[in-house]
Formats: sequence, structure tokens, C-alpha cells
Amino acid sequence: MSNAYLTYAAKRLGQAVVVILLAYVFTFVVVSILPGDPITSVLRNPQNGFREEEIAEIIAAQGLDKPIIVQLWHSLSGFLTGDLGISMRSNRPVSTLIAEVLPSTLILASAGLAVALVLAMLVAYGTRFVPKRYGQGLLRGFPSLFLSVPNFVIGLVLIHLFGFQLGLFRVINPDSFWATLFAAIALGIPISAQIAEVLIANLDKEAEQEYATVARSRGLGQARLFVSHLLKPASLPVVTVIALMIGELLGGSLITETVFGRTGIGSLVQRSVSTQDLPVLQAIVSLGAVIFVLVNLVADLLYPLLDPRVKILGGRKRQPTTADETSIGPTRVVMP
Amino acid sequence: MTEQSSLLNLSRRRLLITTSATVAAALLVSTTGFTPAQAAETPKDGGDITFLIDSLGDTWIPNNSAISSFQGHIWGHVTDKLLYVDAEGKVSPWLAERWEQNDNATEFTLHLKNGVTFSDGAPLDSAAVVANLDIWYAGRKNEGINPIGLFPKTYDRAEVIDQSTVKVFFKKPTLGFIPTLGYHGSILVSPKSLAQPASQQADLSKTAGSGPYVVESWKEGDHVTLVKRKDYNWGPAAVGHTGPAFLDSITYKLVSEPSLRVASVQSGQADVAYNASPQELKSLKEEGYTIATPRYLGFVNGWAVNTKIAPYDDVKVRQALQAGINRQEIIDTVYTPDWKLPTSFIQSNVPGATDQSGLLAYNPDRAEKLLDEAGWAKGADGVRTKDGKPLTLTLHSNPYLATSKSVDELIAQQLGKLGWKVAIRAYDVVTYGEKVKYGGPAIPTYEVTRSFIDAGTVAGILTNANNGENWFALDDRDARLNDLRDKIAGAGTFDERNPLLNDLQQYVLDQGYFIPRTQIVQRIYVQSPTLKGEVYNGVAYASYYTAFIAD
Repeated sequence: MSNAYLTYAAKRLGQAVVVILLAYVFTFVVVSILPGDPITSVLRNPQNGFREEEIAEIIAAQGLDKPIIVQLWHSLSGFLTGDLGISMRSNRPVSTLIAEVLPSTLILASAGLAVALVLAMLVAYGTRFVPKRYGQGLLRGFPSLFLSVPNFVIGLVLIHLFGFQLGLFRVINPDSFWATLFAAIALGIPISAQIAEVLIANLDKEAEQEYATVARSRGLGQARLFVSHLLKPASLPVVTVIALMIGELLGGSLITETVFGRTGIGSLVQRSVSTQDLPVLQAIVSLGAVIFVLVNLVADLLYPLLDPRVKILGGRKRQPTTADETSIGPTRVVMP
Repeated sequence: MTEQSSLLNLSRRRLLITTSATVAAALLVSTTGFTPAQAAETPKDGGDITFLIDSLGDTWIPNNSAISSFQGHIWGHVTDKLLYVDAEGKVSPWLAERWEQNDNATEFTLHLKNGVTFSDGAPLDSAAVVANLDIWYAGRKNEGINPIGLFPKTYDRAEVIDQSTVKVFFKKPTLGFIPTLGYHGSILVSPKSLAQPASQQADLSKTAGSGPYVVESWKEGDHVTLVKRKDYNWGPAAVGHTGPAFLDSITYKLVSEPSLRVASVQSGQADVAYNASPQELKSLKEEGYTIATPRYLGFVNGWAVNTKIAPYDDVKVRQALQAGINRQEIIDTVYTPDWKLPTSFIQSNVPGATDQSGLLAYNPDRAEKLLDEAGWAKGADGVRTKDGKPLTLTLHSNPYLATSKSVDELIAQQLGKLGWKVAIRAYDVVTYGEKVKYGGPAIPTYEVTRSFIDAGTVAGILTNANNGENWFALDDRDARLNDLRDKIAGAGTFDERNPLLNDLQQYVLDQGYFIPRTQIVQRIYVQSPTLKGEVYNGVAYASYYTAFIAD
């Protein structure tokens, strides 16, 4: 490892830390300036029959009457020492809450990614090798179609068709295999679009390369050519796209979870936002930032290994990525 | 021949006997109103049910969640209470087998049932009861464990007399103490669980109660599964069963979409759907589903009028409001016949509630006359004005009641005909909590939905004495109301208190301080016809302790 590389890595890591801290403070400020807090809204439920003085007393006992800056310092110092705090809504440790729902989201997100990859591969293969009269042009339109249909619409259609009409899964049991599969399909379709777009553009480019012509002239079949010659070089930019899409995957799983009734990070966010549960929101936003930064870091480090043409040159690197930016398409980053 | 005829006779007689027996049986069945299937049913052991619910609330700290409309269902199966309060408000013994009080209701002695244990093995003895009473009264505020809001503030202390006897002391007469022990907030939890810090108490699986079910598993925002406790043997006598429950397990599953909850019950995927929309109930009933709309003990749904805001400082305007609302139309339009007309400002099943229907009759002519007398003249556009100002009313729909806005809209039409200009504001729960308060400066009417167990606490809430809530913003201005409040608070017996309560109800309604809308049904259950035997208590929670699956 060269010195230049280490400097580069340290710089990237420093940036990551700043991004995470900013995300943390930003969430705190935004949620704090909204009126109300989870404790008061529970206390004010008329069923409780609390008087104003009692509410004030309980709020003071929780330290919620202190100035915002004091509260921010309190929570930030906890965060820096690794303590995510206690949820104001449920009174349970934030780390427990997240650990409870994270597996469900990870399963959905990875299944969604797998569906997206398979689908993108199929569409890309089709655009090269399906004859024109059998709808090659149509296949090229698929990514735009997939991208323009929101995944909650896809989800509702899937639930209606396969859940209610065909009875493949029970709507009230969303963690079953079939329910998870269809949720993954709903999540994977829009994501597959972006992967497919990049893949198609790069396949087009690679197919015109000399080595491809040579391979064809040696009588290689379409499928062999696709799998052993074109796919690898064409899928390199896909790694970058996937890394950028992690945010979308987590954000999309939030909506998909709601539609399919799954209990994951998404539903935790939804409950926490509606009750202004600050510690949980801060932890999740920071977690999202950490994951996003980490995945992109890994993608950057993986890249030279996958493509020997890419060299880290004194802090500047990864030329192909910048060159490919047009084919990546608009990057939409959704905070989970 | 002879033989033959006797045979014939015999068979004819037999036929007659059989026929008449059948007829008699049919008659018996039809007159008693039993269908044969029901008559043959006795509870049987076994079975699992799924209860679909719209939320499972927030925290599980027992003190903070026991009164939740959602978590109360789980607490009702996992924990027991000292007393049982049925749907009619009748108080009967449960874990307290009997009790005595002194003459001025400041000292109570509770005698506990022996042999009761919590699911963590700890005995439910007098020390456990004292620990519970203390935490209900005070909570542990710095930890985020709230007191039970409606537990008497006059509590002084509780003492262990012996293993099964507790003596409770109050600073002032507190007739409401005994009924409060059957209130949904008064759940008995193992002292070991109570000693845990808040973050542990918030983990439902770490709290042990003495109820007929124990928590098998739970996931926040997803489900709670309860399984039967086999050694349970101390059910309330009032429900007619004291042994272990019949159903093996109850799963409370969160499904936030109301139509999905009902559709799942219709398709046989679940057994009970909670909080269906009132409009669906009629057709569901016709399809054969069991519909339950139990009422709780408490205030009716209605408005507390702010007497500090003009023109509601004028008794005639308030009385016009009282007479100008067509309550029957609310039930016919927004609700179903399962909802009942108010007869007072407290629900008619509360002990001590009296029938004041006369004061709540719809009488638009009287309302118009009262407004004319008060100087509000109808203009060309139908809106009444006085000194150039229009007769306005701003309603703030109660976000805790799903149908509140629909009722507001209907009332706006009704009052519009009389010359009122009504505006409706609908806030979310958080904003509502911040902006809408009793007697608030821009809040002419505050919409009430509130349960209580004992009517004696009502007068204290209405006024500002002893940190009351001063619902009508009267402060100390109404001497008669204050007098009634003091007398009710000081009453040592129900015979002494009941006539005073009657006077209070009559006075508050006649003055137009409280404008009832309908009696409240806050909990709606749609249930599969094969599930039978459930019991509803005084706060309208369904208990499946006595329920079973019929063939």
C-alpha cells in the first residue's frame, strides 16, 4: 500500500465521519424545532387525565425542558461514546429496537437486490440477443417503464393478484417465503431498471470491441459470448451503481415494508417519525449514513481488483466511473 | 287380525308421541330463543385465536400503557385486578375477597385471596399490593414511569397488616378508591417486575402478572402472542369461571388497514378484527359475524363549553346550543343503532348516572327563540349577528375519535340552519395536544372522550378546586357548582352521594356547560361466529379468558 493510498483512505474516512455527524445534528435540529414531543403527546391523551402541572413535572424530570443546545450536547456525547440512547416512545434501548427489525430489512433488501440483478441481466441479455421482430426495441424500453412505476403500485398489484386472487401468501403473515419473495419483486423492479440501463449501455459498447468480433468470428454462441466475454467487463460499472443504490434500496424497502405489512427498519422509522421519537430517528439516519458511506468505500476499494486497468494514482482514481456517469443515469439518493 | 291392529295402534301411538315431542321441542326452542346449535354448546378446551388490531401502542411500561386502548387488551389477559367492574359498573370481588372502609371513607382494609402467584413465582401478597399502590400513585417520574393519571390524588399510604391484609389511608374521603381498583390502570404486576428500571419494564416479556395468560413472544409493531397459564385458578367470580382459560393461545397481530382486518376475518384468516368502521357493521351483522360495541364507563362524547369566550358566556346561547343539536340524526347518519342517545353527560351505564333526556331533546324552535332573546338576529344570508358580529363556533375535531369529524360536519349543518356559522379544524394528535386545551383562549368547545370508573371524581374534574381541570373555565364563579362539588367530595356513602350527583348532572346540562353528542363506543369488535363466550368489562375491553371455539 502506497503512502498516497493511505492518505486517500484517511481523507475518505474523515469525510465519512463528518457526513455522519452532520446527519446526526441535522436530524436533531429538524425534529426539535417541530412542536411537541413523544412524551407530551402520550401524556396529553385525554384518557390519562393528567393535569398541566403534572405534565410539566414529568417533562422536567425527563430533562425535556432544557434548552435544545444542552439536549443536543447530551445526546451527541452519548452517541460519540457508542450509546444510542433510549427511545422516548417505547422506553427501550435504541440499539435493541434496531437489532429487532434490522434482519427483516436486510433480508428484504438483499432479496430485492438479487431480484433486481437477475431481472436486469435478463433484460440486458434480451436487448442484445432477442431478434428485432420479437420485441428487442420493446425490451430496451423496459428500464424506463420499471423506473416510472412506483414500487408501492407494483406492491399493491402483486398483493392483489398473488395474495388475494391466487392465495399464494397470507397478507397477515408477511414474513413467509412467498410474501417475502413478492415484496422483493416489488422492491427489485425499479432498482433493476437502473442496473439494466447501465448494463445495456456497456454491453453495446463492449459488443463493438475487437475482442468481441474475434470471439464471434471464432463461432462462439450468443449465450457463451454473453456470459464469458461481454458480461464481466460490462458489469464493472454496475458495482458502482449498486453502491450508489444502497440508499434507494433501504429507502424503497421502507415503502415496500409498509405496503406488505413487514416489520422492519421502515416501519420503525414510520412509527418514530409520527411520534417524533428523536433518539431512534437519529440512530437510524446515522446508521443509514454509515452504511451508505461504507458500501461506497468498499466499492471504491473493490474496483481496482475487478478491473486491472483502474489504478490509484496519488489520491485520484477510478477514471472509468467518471466517464460512465452518463450511463449511470440520474442518481437518486433516498435517505432511509 | 287383532295382533295386526294392535301393532297398528302401537305404531300410531308411537308416531303421535314422536310428533308431539318434536313439536314441543321446537316450541321450547323457539320460545327460549335458542337455536339448537347454541343450546348444545359447552366451553371446550383448546384452540388458538388471532386478534387483528390497528396498533400495539408505544411503550410497555405497565403504568404508562395500562390505559392504552390497544395495550389494555394484552394487560387484561396477562394481569389481574383487585376488583372486577362489569359492563354495568357493578363492582365485585376478585383478588380482594372482601373489603371494609371507615365512616368517612379515608381508610380501607383489603382482604386478599390466598395462594395467588405471579407468573415469575412470586406470591401476590399484601406486600406486593402495597408496592403496586405506591407506584400507581407516584410512578417514578425521573425514570419516565408515569403515575396512573386517574388514581386518587388523595392517597396517603398503604400498610401491610399481615400476609393477606392491606390497609390503605387517604388524606381526604375517597369513595372512588374501591371502584378505581377495577379500573384498567390498576393492574397488579409482580414486585420484581416493578423494581426493574424503565428500559426493562418496557420489555413486555420481562413483566410478570398473575393473569390467565402469559406472554410467549412479542415483536414491537408486529405481534404479541399469549399462551394459557395452566395453574391459573383465581378468575373473577362475576364472569362465572375461575379455572384456567379454555383457549390455548391468543395472538394480537398488528394490521393497520381497517378493511384488511375485516377482510381477514371474513376470509377465515383471523378471528377478531378490532375497530372496524361503523358503516360496515350492518352488512357484517347480516353476514353472520358477531358485532360487539360495548360502552365504557365515563363521560359521553360531547363538548365542554368555555364560558369565558363570547358569546358562550351567555347562558341563553349555551342553552340554544343544547337544544339545537339533533342527536338522533347523528346516530342515524354517522353511526348505527348500536350507538345510544346520551341521557346525561356521563354514560348511562355509570352507577349514579340519571336520566336527563328532557334537557337534551332536539327543539330547534326553542333554540331559535333563545337566540332571538339573546339579541342574535338572523340576517339575509341566514347567519345571525349581534352588534355587527356573526354568531360563530369553531370546532376542533378530536383526533382520538375516528368519527369525530363526521359528527362535527353534521352538527355544522344542523347549527347552520339555526343561524350559526360553524368552522371545523382537524389537527393531528401532536398539534391537537399543543393547541387545543380546556378553556383555551381560542377554544369555545373542547370535545371530550374520557373514561372513569367512579362518578364521584367527575365534579372535581369540572371545577378548578384541588387542581381540577376547570373544564368550563368558570374558575370560582359558579357558587352552586362549587357547592355541589364540595358536598360530593365529602360524601361518605353512596346513598348520600347519589342525589347530589343527580343535581350536578341536571345543573350542568341545564346551564349548557356540557353539550353531549352521543354515548361513546370507543371499541368495536367484529368476531368470527365460531368464537364464543367472551366477556366485556367496564372499560369495554374484550376478555377471552372465558372464550372458546364452538364446533
